[in-house]
Amino acid sequence: MTAAAAGAAPIIELDGVHKSYDFGRGAVHALRGVDLRIAAGEWIAIMGPSGAGKTTLLEILGCLSRPSAGRYRLRGRAVDALGADDLAQVRGEAIGFVFQSFNLLPRLTAAENVALPLVYRRRPRRERAERAREALARVGLEARAGHRPSELSGGERQRVAIARALVNRPALLLADEPTGNLDSATSEEILGLLRTLHAEGNAVVLVTHDVAIGRRAGRLVTIRDGRIESDRNQGTET
Amino acid sequence: MSGLGAVREAAATLRAHKGRALLTLFGIVWGTASVILLTGWGDGVRIMMERGFFKTGRNLGEAWAGRVSEEFSPAVDRRWLWFTSADLAALRGRVKLSELVGGEAWEWAAATHRGRTRNVDLRGVDPEAIAIRGIDVAAGRPITRTDLDHRRRVVVLGDQVRRTLLGPHGGVGSWIRLDGRPFEVVGLLAPVGVQLSQDRMLIDEQTWAPLSTVQALWPRDWTEDPVVTKILFRIRDRNDVAIAKQEVRAILAERLRVAPDDDEAVGIFSPIEMLNRFPLDETRGLLFVLAATTLGVGGIGVLSMMLDAVHQRRQEIGIRLAVGATRRDILGLFFFETLAITGAGGFAGALLGVASTWALGRLDAPDLVPVPVLQIPIVFVAIGVMGGVGILAGLWPAWRASRVDPAITLRME
Repeated sequence: MTAAAAGAAPIIELDGVHKSYDFGRGAVHALRGVDLRIAAGEWIAIMGPSGAGKTTLLEILGCLSRPSAGRYRLRGRAVDALGADDLAQVRGEAIGFVFQSFNLLPRLTAAENVALPLVYRRRPRRERAERAREALARVGLEARAGHRPSELSGGERQRVAIARALVNRPALLLADEPTGNLDSATSEEILGLLRTLHAEGNAVVLVTHDVAIGRRAGRLVTIRDGRIESDRNQGTET
Repeated sequence: MSGLGAVREAAATLRAHKGRALLTLFGIVWGTASVILLTGWGDGVRIMMERGFFKTGRNLGEAWAGRVSEEFSPAVDRRWLWFTSADLAALRGRVKLSELVGGEAWEWAAATHRGRTRNVDLRGVDPEAIAIRGIDVAAGRPITRTDLDHRRRVVVLGDQVRRTLLGPHGGVGSWIRLDGRPFEVVGLLAPVGVQLSQDRMLIDEQTWAPLSTVQALWPRDWTEDPVVTKILFRIRDRNDVAIAKQEVRAILAERLRVAPDDDEAVGIFSPIEMLNRFPLDETRGLLFVLAATTLGVGGIGVLSMMLDAVHQRRQEIGIRLAVGATRRDILGLFFFETLAITGAGGFAGALLGVASTWALGRLDAPDLVPVPVLQIPIVFVAIGVMGGVGILAGLWPAWRASRVDPAITLRME
C-alpha cells in the first residue's frame, strides 16, 4: 500500500516549514524546518515526546494554523499564503479532523454535529440530512442520530466525530490522539474504524503517544524539538 | 449558513444561555426605557415650569404704579402715583406688542356668609383681565362687560374662598356680604392649585367682582378717579418680553408724566422673565447626560456579557472554524444572537418607556411632578443606539475570536 502510494503524486508537500508562537515572553519555536511529503491513501503515524511539535504539525497540515515560514502545497495548491476564509474553505473541502476530546457541539444532535461541515459548504438541508445519515451508518451509529453528545459514550462520541470528519469525503483524515481519552477496548474499535476508512482509500495521519499504534501504521514519522527525526515506511501491516 | 439556519441556531443558543440572555435583555430594556423616560422628563420639566409660571396668565405682564424715583425728583417731592381707568383705556388703544390689556382694582374686604366671616382678596376685574388670567369657570359664569356697565354686585369666587366661605352647601346663586354689602355669587373658579408666580394671594383665595363696582363702592380717599391697582397685559410673543415691557412702560410713563426709564414709578413684571431665568436647558442637558450615561452603562453591560459569551464559546468557534466555517459565518452566528437580544430588548424597552411615560402622565399631580413627554424620534434613537451598541458589542468580540488561528482557539479549552 505505502509503496504504491509513495510512487503516486503527493497530496501534501511541506518544505522548510517553521512555526513559532509569540506569547509575549519571547517566541516559542514549535517547528524548526519540516519537510514532508504525503501521498494519497497513506497511513501515517506521527510520534514524539510532549512538546516536540506533533500537534502543531497536524494543525498546519489541517490548515488550522499557517506556517510562520516555509511552503505548504495541498494537492498542488499553495495554501501557506491563503487568507483565513480561503483556508476555511480548504478545511471544509479537503480535510477531516478527529480530536482527542471529540470537540462535538453539545447542543447539537449526533446527526447535526455530523452535518455541520455541510452547513458551511451551503449544502441544502435534505442533502445534509442524507449525507449525515450515510456517514453515521459508516461508523455504525445510525441508530443514535438523534442523541446529543452527553447521551453518548466516549467511543460513540469519537465515532460521531469520525463521521463528521468523513461527511465531506475529504482527501485527508487528520486525527490527534483519537484514542487518548478512550479505554483500550474502545480504542481498538476506533482504530479498527480508521483502518477500514483507510482501506477504502482515505489518507490518514494520526498523532499518537501509543507505540503499539505507531508500529502498526504504514509509515512512522517521529519528531523531536520541531524537526523530523526519522521517517520510515513500515510495510503494509495495516 | 443560510439566514434561516442562523436564526434557528441563534434561538437555540439563547435558549441554552437563558440567564445571560435575560441579564443582557434587562440591560437593554432598562437603557432604552430610561432614555425615553428621562428625555421625556426633560421636556416635562419645561412644561411643568411653564404651567406653573403661567397659572396667573399665559405670557402675562403686570404693571403697577409706585413713586417717582429719587433719581428723578427731590426727596421732598416724591409723588405717589396711581393708574386710572383712563390710563387703562389709553394703553389698550396704543399698545402693539401685547394683545390684551385688562385692569384690576384690589381691596381687602370682610366677606360673610351665614355667620361665617373671613377676609378676602377682593379684585375688581374686567373681561380682558379675566381672559388674560385664563382660569376656567367651574360653575356659573364669569364677570361680563354688562356687569361692569351696570356696576352689578356680583362675585365669582376662587376655589378656596368657596370652600371656606360658602361651605359644602353654598354655590352659584348664594349671597354673600362684602364689607356689609350684599353680592350674588354668579360663578365659581376652577381650582388652580400650585402657582410658581403669585401676586398678593393665590387665585384660589381671590374673589372677583366687576371692576367698576369695586371702584365705586371702595373709593380712594385721595382721588375721585377710578383707580386701577394693576394693569395686566398679554405679550404676543414670549421672545419679545423685554421690548413689550418697554413699550408698556413708555406709554404708562407718558400718561403719569414720569421719566420712561423710572422703574420705581412704573413697575413691570412678567413671569416669562422668571421662566427664562430658570435653567431649563441645563435641566434638560443634565437629564440627557443621565439618559446617555444609562444607555452607555447598558451598552457596557451588553459588551461585557457578550465578551463573556464569546469567551465561553471560543471552543465552539474553534470547532466551527475547523469544519470549514468562515469568519463571516462566525460573525453571522453572533450577529443574529445579538440582533435577537437587542431587538427584543430595544422593543421591550421602548414599550416600557412609552408605557411608563403614559402612566406618569396619568398621575394626578402634574403641578409637582414633571410629566414626561413622549418624543417619538427619541424612541427610535434609543432603539437604534441600544441596538447598535448591542450589535457592536456582540460582533466585536466575535470578530476578534474569529481572527485567531482556529488551532489556538481549539487549544484554549
